[in-house]
Amino acid sequence: MSRRFLDTESPGWVADGLISEAQRQQLLARYPQQAPALGLLPILGSVLVGLSGLSVVAANWQGLPAALRLALLLGSLVGSYAAGSYFLRRGNPDLGHGLIGLGLILFGASIILTSQLYQLVGYDASGLLAWVVAGVGLSYVYGSRLLVLLTVLIGAAVQTYCVESLGIFSYVTAWLVVGGLGYYWWRRPDVVGSYVLAAGLLWQAGLLIIALHAKITWFFVPAMLIYAAGDWQPNRLGGRALQVPPLVAAYLFMFGLAVFGEADAYANVLRPPLLPYLGALVAVLAISVAGKRARGTLATLPEWLLLLPGFYLSGGLSLAVATLVVLYAHAGSVLARANRDHDSDQLTIGAVLFVAATAVAYFKLTWGFMDKSLFFLIGGILLLALSWYLRRRNAQVLAAAAPAVAQQAGAPALAADNSEAPEATRNS
Amino acid sequence: MTDLLSWFSAPARRRPLLRTLVAAQVLYVLGVAGAGYATTALGKRVVLATTPIDPRDLLYGDFVRLRYAIGENPLSRWHGPEAPKRRQSVFVLLATGSDSLSTAVGVYPQAPTPSVGQAVLRGWVTDVYPASFNLRFNLERYYVPEGSGLRLEKAGRLHPLRVRVSIAPWGQARITNVEAEPAKK
Repeated sequence: MSRRFLDTESPGWVADGLISEAQRQQLLARYPQQAPALGLLPILGSVLVGLSGLSVVAANWQGLPAALRLALLLGSLVGSYAAGSYFLRRGNPDLGHGLIGLGLILFGASIILTSQLYQLVGYDASGLLAWVVAGVGLSYVYGSRLLVLLTVLIGAAVQTYCVESLGIFSYVTAWLVVGGLGYYWWRRPDVVGSYVLAAGLLWQAGLLIIALHAKITWFFVPAMLIYAAGDWQPNRLGGRALQVPPLVAAYLFMFGLAVFGEADAYANVLRPPLLPYLGALVAVLAISVAGKRARGTLATLPEWLLLLPGFYLSGGLSLAVATLVVLYAHAGSVLARANRDHDSDQLTIGAVLFVAATAVAYFKLTWGFMDKSLFFLIGGILLLALSWYLRRRNAQVLAAAAPAVAQQAGAPALAADNSEAPEATRNS
Repeated sequence: MTDLLSWFSAPARRRPLLRTLVAAQVLYVLGVAGAGYATTALGKRVVLATTPIDPRDLLYGDFVRLRYAIGENPLSRWHGPEAPKRRQSVFVLLATGSDSLSTAVGVYPQAPTPSVGQAVLRGWVTDVYPASFNLRFNLERYYVPEGSGLRLEKAGRLHPLRVRVSIAPWGQARITNVEAEPAKK
C-alpha cells in the first residue's frame, strides 16, 4: 500500500467511523514519507560516466597493448568486487550484490576476451567451467537471489556453448548447477529463484537430449525428476514453484500431441523403446508419489496424467481422442482441487485449461465436416456458454469461501453476507 | 552435520572467502594468458594454407575470416567405424610437405598418434556431403592488429594466405601469424 493511497483514503475511513483520528495518525506514522528519489541521481550519473569509459575502451580495444588490456580487465574485476563488498558493509545490499554480480560477469568476459587476445582455442568446457564454479561459490557466500539467478544463466550459457560449438555435453557444468544450486534451493527455497532454477535445469536437460541425439520424449524423465524434487521440498511455496516449469513443458507437449498428433509422421522422433522409457518414468513417478505422501500433497497426483505416453498409440482418431480425454481429466482435476481448497487462482487456471481443451476438441472433431460459418458460430456459442458457467462456479466458490473467512475473523457470517450481497449486485 | 550454506555465509568467513574467490579468479585469468604464451613456446608449429573466400566478406570488423584448405576433405580421408556426423568433434592428422605447408593426411574420431613431422589438430564436422565433408577448427577468425587488416585483405584476394598455428601438447591451439603466401612467378 503506497503512502499516497493512505494520505488520500484515510480521511474517508475516519469519516466512515472505521478508524479514529488517533489511529489514522498512528497509521501515517507507521508508513513514513519515503526519502525523495534524489538518491538515484548520483547512481545514474556514475552509470553514464562508466558507460562513456566503457565505450572509449571498447572503441580502442584492438589498439591497446596486450598487457594493458589484461590489466584493465583484472582491474575492473577486482574493483567491482571491492566496491560490492564495501557497499554490503555499508548496509546497501541491493547495490552490493549488484556490484558483485557485475564482478562475476566481468570474470566471464575476462576469460573470453583473454582467450581472444591470444587467439587461443580451447577444446573443452574447462575454460568456462571456472565461471560456473565462481558463480556457485559467490551464491553460497552471499546467499543472494541475484547471484543465484546469474549463476543459473551462466550455467545455461556455458552448456549451450559446449553443445552448440564444441559438440559435447559438459556433465561437470550440469552437476554444478544441479548439485550446487539444487542444494542451495533445498535449503533456501524462494519462489522466483525456484522458477528460474527449474527453467535452467530444463534447459540443461534439453541440451543433454540434443547432445545425445536421443528421442525428445526422454526429456520428460529429467524434467519430472525436477518435479519430484519439488514434491520432497518441505517448503510448499518453493516446492510448488519448482514444479511449474516441468508441468508447463508436459502440458504443452500433450497439447501439441492433441493438436498435431494425428499424422503418424512423428513416430520415429517421439517413440523411445517402450520398456526402458516406461521403466524410467515409473521410477520417477514412485519418487514423486513417495514425496507427495511424505508431505501430504497427494491431491496433486493427477498432474501426472500429463505424462501418459499417448504417442505410443498409432496416430489418427484414437490418439486424438485419448489426448483429449487426458487434457479434460487434467483440467477437471485442477478444477476439483481448486473447488475443494477454495483457491481462486487455481480456479482460473483450471477454467483456462478446460476452455483450451474444449477448443481443441471442437476444432479437431468438427472442422472437417462442418460448414465453416456454422463451425465458428457453434464454437463461439460453446465458448460463451462455457465461460458463463465457469464464472458462475467461480463466484459461487468465492461466495462460499467469504463467510468462512469472515467467521474465522470473528465477524458474524450473516452480517458479512448481507453487506456483500448488495455490493455484488451493484458491481454486476 | 552443520549446514553447508550457513558455513559459507557466516559473516566472519565472508571477507576471507571473497578474497580467496577473487584471487582465484584473477589467477585463473592470468593462467589463460599464460596458456597463450605457453602454447606459442611449447607447441608444435604448423603452417596452413587458406583458400580464398568471398573478398567482400574477408575482413569482417576487427578480424579476418579464414577458410582452410584442410577444412575440405574427401570421405576417403575419414578413418572411423561410422560415417562422420554433423557437430562431431574429430582429430586431423597433419603432415608437413616439402613447401613447409601442412596438409591433412587423415581425419579420425579418436586422437591418432602422430609420427615425426606430423601434428594433430582438433576440429568439428560442419557439413557432410556424399563424397566429402567439411570441418571447422575455431581458428576461422584472426583478430588483426590495428591497421594491418587491409594489407591482409588485399593479399587474400589474390593469393591464399599462410597461417602459422601453434598446437600445444595439451590440445590448445592458437594462430601466431598470418601472412601472404610468397607470390609464385
